[in-house]
Amino acid sequence: MAVSVQIPAPLRALAGGAAEVRLEASTVRELVDELQARHAGFRERLLDEGGRLKAYVRVFVNQDDVRALEGEATPLRDGDVVAIVPAIAGGCCRCCRVRAASGPPPAAEFIMSA
Amino acid sequence: MTREQMATVLAHALEGYPFEVCGVFVGPANGRRVQRVVRVPNREQESPRVRYEIAPEDLLRIQKDARTNGDEILGFYHSHPDHPARPSETDRRVAAEGLSDGVVHLVVGVEGGARATPAAWVFRDALAGFEPEPLEIDAKEDEPWR
Repeated sequence: MAVSVQIPAPLRALAGGAAEVRLEASTVRELVDELQARHAGFRERLLDEGGRLKAYVRVFVNQDDVRALEGEATPLRDGDVVAIVPAIAGGCCRCCRVRAASGPPPAAEFIMSA
Repeated sequence: MTREQMATVLAHALEGYPFEVCGVFVGPANGRRVQRVVRVPNREQESPRVRYEIAPEDLLRIQKDARTNGDEILGFYHSHPDHPARPSETDRRVAAEGLSDGVVHLVVGVEGGARATPAAWVFRDALAGFEPEPLEIDAKEDEPWR
């Protein structure tokens, strides 16, 4: 099945800078295999050691999250548009703050007061 | 980004206090200049005071809209109520497990719901983590937060 894959910016270096790749695949798993065959590094960025999509990686077939379909076994049809979308999350509580990064204090110029 | 765009982000962080707020920066593909600030609902259900989540469905919609205009997602922002404008360990862990290499994150510290202070960071990779990223503000506009 000929499908197009939308590549998120953080993965484009793996795909030679391409924002979109067209390839043949009949399932999401085959799609990842084909991406890996063309551009090494895709599999480890998208799948965990068990071959499942990583928790913070979402794949949509047209409008549908494959987690709500058949996961990696989700079938693909001709003309499908597959989007790889990062999950964006985080936050800060007392137990985790400022351990991850250090640096200069924020510029006072940008402070807004209510 | 422009002063107006920064003011939009800081106002969002103040309005949302004591909860974390989040949003997306959209701009021309392969560029670093923000064209549009998109507020996004914090989909975190259990602990929205100390966590945020941008739903992939929201991100997909924003990404499609952006591509229609030749733009793309340039980065993200979120607030840290009563905590510094620096990425937390949770921010680092999620970025490392997800797809965030080279992505800019603006973090806004909010003190007591009265004072919002931003700082920009770029996530290099799982090894290097976040590093400070220079913020360039277009100086042609007024200074609406002063």
